Amino acid sequence: MSDQQAQLAAEGSGSAPSQLREAGVAAAMYLACIIVALFASALIVWATGGSWQAVFSALLDGSLRAPGRWGETIGIAIPLVVVALGTAINGRAGVVNIGQEGQVMMGTAFAAYVGVNMGGPGPIVVVCLLIVGALAGAMWAGIASWLLYWRRVPEVLTTLLLITVASQATGYALKVDWLLLAPFRADRSVRNQVSEQLAADTRLPRIDIFGNDFPISSIAVVLMAVIVFLLFKRSVWGFRMRMLGRNARTAQRAGVSTVKYGTTAMLISGACAGLAGALMLSGGDFGNYRFTPGFANNIGWEGLLVALVARSHPVGIVVVAFSFAGLRAGSGFLAATGVEREISQVVLALLVLALLVPPAILFIRERRRALAATRDRT
Amino acid sequence: MADQRTAGTEVPAVRLASISKSFGAIVACDHVDLTLYRGRIHGILGENGAGKSTLMKVLIGLVLPDGGTIEVDGERCQIRDPHDAATRGIGMVHQHFSLVEPLTVWENVMLGDTGRFDAGAARQRVAEISERYGLGVDPDAKLGDLSAGVRQRVEIIKCLRRDPSILIFDEPTSVLTPGESERLFDVLRLAVREENRAVALVSHKLDEILHATDEVTIMRAGSVVQRMETSEADAPLLARAMVGREVSLRSEASALGLIETVAAGAGDGEASRDGDSRIRVPALRLRDVVARGPDGRVSLDGLSVDVFDSEIVGVAGVEGNGQAALTDLLSSLLDADAGTVEVDGVKVEPGKPGAMSDAGVAVIPEDRHSSGCVLDMTVAENLFLVDIERIAKRGIYDPAVMRRDAARLIDDFDIHTAGPDAPFWSLSGGNQQRVVLARELSYSPKVLVASQPTRGLDVGAIEWMTDRLRQVADSGVAVMLISNELEEILQLSDRVVVLFRGRIIGEMGRADVDLEELGLLLGGADTEAAA
Repeated sequence: MSDQQAQLAAEGSGSAPSQLREAGVAAAMYLACIIVALFASALIVWATGGSWQAVFSALLDGSLRAPGRWGETIGIAIPLVVVALGTAINGRAGVVNIGQEGQVMMGTAFAAYVGVNMGGPGPIVVVCLLIVGALAGAMWAGIASWLLYWRRVPEVLTTLLLITVASQATGYALKVDWLLLAPFRADRSVRNQVSEQLAADTRLPRIDIFGNDFPISSIAVVLMAVIVFLLFKRSVWGFRMRMLGRNARTAQRAGVSTVKYGTTAMLISGACAGLAGALMLSGGDFGNYRFTPGFANNIGWEGLLVALVARSHPVGIVVVAFSFAGLRAGSGFLAATGVEREISQVVLALLVLALLVPPAILFIRERRRALAATRDRT
Repeated sequence: MADQRTAGTEVPAVRLASISKSFGAIVACDHVDLTLYRGRIHGILGENGAGKSTLMKVLIGLVLPDGGTIEVDGERCQIRDPHDAATRGIGMVHQHFSLVEPLTVWENVMLGDTGRFDAGAARQRVAEISERYGLGVDPDAKLGDLSAGVRQRVEIIKCLRRDPSILIFDEPTSVLTPGESERLFDVLRLAVREENRAVALVSHKLDEILHATDEVTIMRAGSVVQRMETSEADAPLLARAMVGREVSLRSEASALGLIETVAAGAGDGEASRDGDSRIRVPALRLRDVVARGPDGRVSLDGLSVDVFDSEIVGVAGVEGNGQAALTDLLSSLLDADAGTVEVDGVKVEPGKPGAMSDAGVAVIPEDRHSSGCVLDMTVAENLFLVDIERIAKRGIYDPAVMRRDAARLIDDFDIHTAGPDAPFWSLSGGNQQRVVLARELSYSPKVLVASQPTRGLDVGAIEWMTDRLRQVADSGVAVMLISNELEEILQLSDRVVVLFRGRIIGEMGRADVDLEELGLLLGGADTEAAA
């Protein structure tokens, strides 16, 4: 206790070195929280009869260490980044979109239809299916936006509920021939609810580095993050979006139409989710170039989480998305350890919680210090 | 009178000794002493940013001091948070209300309570308090429907419900009309004299301090500069102590409430402007404007007014007669159902976002937090809210250029801030208002609409603001001054129009103002003849 007080007294002045120390303390705290989360995860594994060493080793193998795995991780990170960037944009404008999962489904479904049925030169088909995927996601988010500005229906509700509608609609499309269902083939006894596979020339090219391969869209996605970063930092548009998000009345007075900018934000966010779906389909890391029920596989939700944890910072989004993708890729290797692969979801959840703790602790610490400082002198 | 008790013999209700608090480099309170006694109203006077609010926040536990001691009823203690303060019998009525609009009055009063809760008893308690202090608040009224004055009374009920022995009022009259202020002080006297409570009244209005308090502590730049019995003080003395120099009482008339001085002194050479302006195209022309508020009620009902270059038109009226709607209309926040708005002879569509500012209508809004700024953005960004395009090329701007231009404006307008990157909310009220004015003037407007521009400001800031408004008009801008403070209107305006129930019911040149006639018009008399 007295140590602590001495330390507090030492940190009393607000000079530059103490600021540096503050940053160090914050970093250490994040690290500590992550370690605690991992420890708790280990505890859970141990309690369920598994070996935590084996689990962590498997997660690490599956995400980075084993041959070809970091390519896989990148492949999963791509749609996460795209979804999260869109989420960051609508968050900035003060509009809520939590329906990315449904928008991913719609984007994938439309992209699959175009990819399978369009015909023509492959590269053109790829570009078209990406555009159509984005448009489909935008359309899906647009419904929520339209209801919001036409009848003041809360977008939190509509975007969420539209996930269910998207799930049903795409499920139906996979049941009928004239939409997405792949034609019957004699060599299969059971007719699966899957779409036709994208032809080889309508897939995104993949890069191969040291046996790790991932779609070229990864480069575009990093570029996209940089562009969003610049938009936020330097563009009039980003400035006005932020104004709208922070004070809609001031924004309207300054010429920012709530409807126009709010709708734009929502459409972009939906388009990003739709594009993420199209990238998943044509990239090959999900569903083997086929659209299937459950194709979205929580990528929409996880992308939303990425944006939240990264606090909508574009660079942070790339980092967080890669970590989350690593956990997901790693979970594929858990089967060998005899532990359910759902444990990776638990680890993920604990990590997210852990990342939310330090800001709270820092706040309380600040308060304690102020209290202690007063007590010393009173 | 309660003044007769001597300070030495009685245990003070609160004794703050040597309280200090800094926020970064800014020292808000520097070894401040303050003693409150039961049965007395203690005024705390000072300019915006003098440290009054911080001191009160220390007492209520919202701010933890860096040093100093607190004694409540002779017992030394540490006040950790407002809850702690409440258990020690300290309650505060804040300057900015914390009320929930969709809820009723009694629901608002009960907010934050824990444990079992009895709706019937709560309603009754609210009604009782309202009755006892003559507040006239209906427990079942929806808060959103109430005026600022009534809302404040709700805040007072919230505070009195816990029966605090020590009451703090932070700038209580900044949103009240003169009549409402008078009623507030009646309530205060009742609470003090009959119930032996201690009251701290924070204010920067001299007349308020003179009328309502028993003793006064004057703060300047974080320190106490003087302490005296109110009976020994007068307005010039207080003003000097507060600002730290001689002040022209004429230009601060609205702070002092000295209407006679103004009426006698102003308007000598000003009326001539009026004569030749008739033939020119008005900079701002409203014709038969009808507009409805968000609740569907007609708030502007056939309003017509012209404002010409280089003149200040004062829109006088009792609050609630359409002032807010008129400002909103000219801020593109409200659309007109009928009638036209023209700027320099060109028709403008008022409801279109940004249309008014694009046409060259600058606005100092009544509530700058609502439509004049973005609290969470930096000072620099707030200086460029309306015309960020001025420093942008093809939609891209350079934050460095913004910061540099902002630094210049901060200098020009003498804005006290830690720098262009300081968050806007960290500024004091007067400095926030300067940022708003600096921004609004920076895009060379044709018209400046100033709605209650000096509300909530201290003497020094009012002086500064009125001087600036005068300069703006002299530089050729048409100024529309919307104010509840008649003194302000009379002091600044070249022409006075009276707003009553959403329309202009009378007009007079500054030289012809007859206070009696004006008073009648304000009350809505003579509507037939004027219409």
